[in-house]
Amino acid sequence: MPEEKKDTFFGSVKEFIYGMAAHDMTRYALKTRASMEHLFILITMGDLLGIPILPPYYSLRLLPYVVPQISTWKRRMLREKDLTDAMA
Amino acid sequence: MNTLIALIVGAATFYLGYSFYAKRIDEKIIKSDPKKATPAKMYMDGVDFSPASRNILYGYQFKSIAAAGPIVGAITAAGLWGWLPALLWLILGVTFVGWVQDYSAMMMAARRDGDSISAIAYKLVSPRSRTILLIFLFLYLLLIAGAFGNLLAGVLTNPTIPLGITMLALAGLLGGQMLYRWKMDIAVVTIVTVGLTLLVIALGPVAAVQGAVKGFNGWLDALNANQPIVSLFDPTAAAYAGGFVNIKVSYVFWLTFVAVFSYLGAALPVWRYAQPVNYVGFWIMALTILGGALGAAIAFFVKPELANFALPAFKVWDAGVKGTLQPLWPMLFVTIACGAISGWHALVSTVGTARQLENETDALPVGAGSMFSEMLLGVLALMAVSVAGKGVGAAAFATGVGNFLSIFGLDPKYGSALALAAFVIIVITVMQLVIRFMRVALTEALGDAMPIMRNLHVGTITSLVCMFLVVLTGTFVYLWQLFGGANQLMASLALMLVTLWLVSERRNALYAALPMLFMYVTTIAANLVTAWNLWAGVVQPGLGKANYEVVVFGGLLMIAIALLLVLLALFIGWDAWQSYSRMKSQQRAGVEAPA
Repeated sequence: MPEEKKDTFFGSVKEFIYGMAAHDMTRYALKTRASMEHLFILITMGDLLGIPILPPYYSLRLLPYVVPQISTWKRRMLREKDLTDAMA
Repeated sequence: MNTLIALIVGAATFYLGYSFYAKRIDEKIIKSDPKKATPAKMYMDGVDFSPASRNILYGYQFKSIAAAGPIVGAITAAGLWGWLPALLWLILGVTFVGWVQDYSAMMMAARRDGDSISAIAYKLVSPRSRTILLIFLFLYLLLIAGAFGNLLAGVLTNPTIPLGITMLALAGLLGGQMLYRWKMDIAVVTIVTVGLTLLVIALGPVAAVQGAVKGFNGWLDALNANQPIVSLFDPTAAAYAGGFVNIKVSYVFWLTFVAVFSYLGAALPVWRYAQPVNYVGFWIMALTILGGALGAAIAFFVKPELANFALPAFKVWDAGVKGTLQPLWPMLFVTIACGAISGWHALVSTVGTARQLENETDALPVGAGSMFSEMLLGVLALMAVSVAGKGVGAAAFATGVGNFLSIFGLDPKYGSALALAAFVIIVITVMQLVIRFMRVALTEALGDAMPIMRNLHVGTITSLVCMFLVVLTGTFVYLWQLFGGANQLMASLALMLVTLWLVSERRNALYAALPMLFMYVTTIAANLVTAWNLWAGVVQPGLGKANYEVVVFGGLLMIAIALLLVLLALFIGWDAWQSYSRMKSQQRAGVEAPA
């Protein structure tokens, strides 16, 4: 089991400033990337969620690369969302 | 009273409230468990659900909740009733209500798979409560946009400010380009963009710049022969004695400037404009607030004359003028929203922070800690306005912070310019996000019925038109108190959900139920008082008078919003009561309540 990281004063201050100044930006960049990837998976592998698209030959070629993301993608696609989810 | 005592009172509230009350609730009632898997760990997707350290989350939560609310609320309330009621509500509100909501909403979401507050309302209360919350949210956003738009247009007519804010927009565009297109180091981007903006802000008080902006405003006003477009009765005008506020062409121009600023924030890609503007703004705001707080603490020892409160401790029980009402209860409790308690925090705590908690035990320092910190920001704003003594609103705040910064040798003229710029930056960065959210809300609500609303530009312009409507026909103090009413009602609804969740889990819900009842009754009463004020102060005097059609229409619109908020709160309250009764009867019958 990895040893738990100890907080140092300067480390904590650095993380606090990062949290205030840039954490939002990082999250937004990650969200944008994930949305693009998830859209791509939806277009190519939508049948995995029951969307009636015929799996083309290229979907099968892409499948091995998509496998690691399938569980995350399914959860994100099927999770009920509303306006409040867009606010943070 | 002086700044040192105020700071000590704030710090003692933080320590005592956090150590002796918040920690006890965490240990005895919520029983946060470091071994329990959080949604961030269970559903880790590296995006919405992703664990982050508690220090990062503390910064993230603090930055997300601490905006213009604690500053504007504290200075408005101090002007109306004096600094003592404002200070008391800040410290008692945060201790018994504020942190309770932020922390408990966060824990509720963490224990319920990271559900949003509306999803929890749907499951715990009733299906329609989700719809009610979403309508609430739109009205809330509209009122923030109106109150902030009004505030900004007024402050921007001050010749010291416009150049610095224009530079902020340009620095944001430059920052986005440097960071994402030219892939430059963030340290270089920070030095260049923040340095440039600070430099231009410092040029604001220079006589040549002041003369040019004054000349420009004069030229604009001359377009309508220096006559007002419309006059509004504002009870806070003339040092809270009440008077007519003239809306001139220059005011409309600066309101349009705010609209364009917000339009860019809503329509351009986030990385291109909104994000870098917020980033540059963060540094200016942080430097000013940190410098101001340090100056306030040192002032007592170095320049005691700058540390003494000049504002009276208590003014009146009812600050209403000319037939309008401003009783301390309930109006103080909606005038100061953030800093004591705010419904916005429940949104951030649930969909933002709860999904990133690494450990359940982090919720206390992050949720409660950042709320207590926000109270300190409110105390700082209160100190600034109380020390300045004269002037109202943002100008008084800027004078006070300018005095605090002068402790470090900075000319008060430049210190005030920096404080005023920081104030505008805090408000305008929130404003652009609000317009963006309003556009998304319009698309969600009307997109199916009116496909044109899905268009980015149509959605944004419609949101801005709504903002213009409430600004030009409304009065700042009523807009602000209606916004506070919506915000505090949202907070009481969040506390209602927390209470129901605790009841469903068979835990002692009293620590959330009592503040919920207080906030629910208080904010409903406050909204009814605001509706009466709008009737007695705006609509009735203008009925049948020539050129007052716009003012009367605006007053009626705001009365309708106030009454709608009350009606929605009553609906959701009734549904919550039924849900509570159902849970209790099921528990008495030995059946597990539905989760």
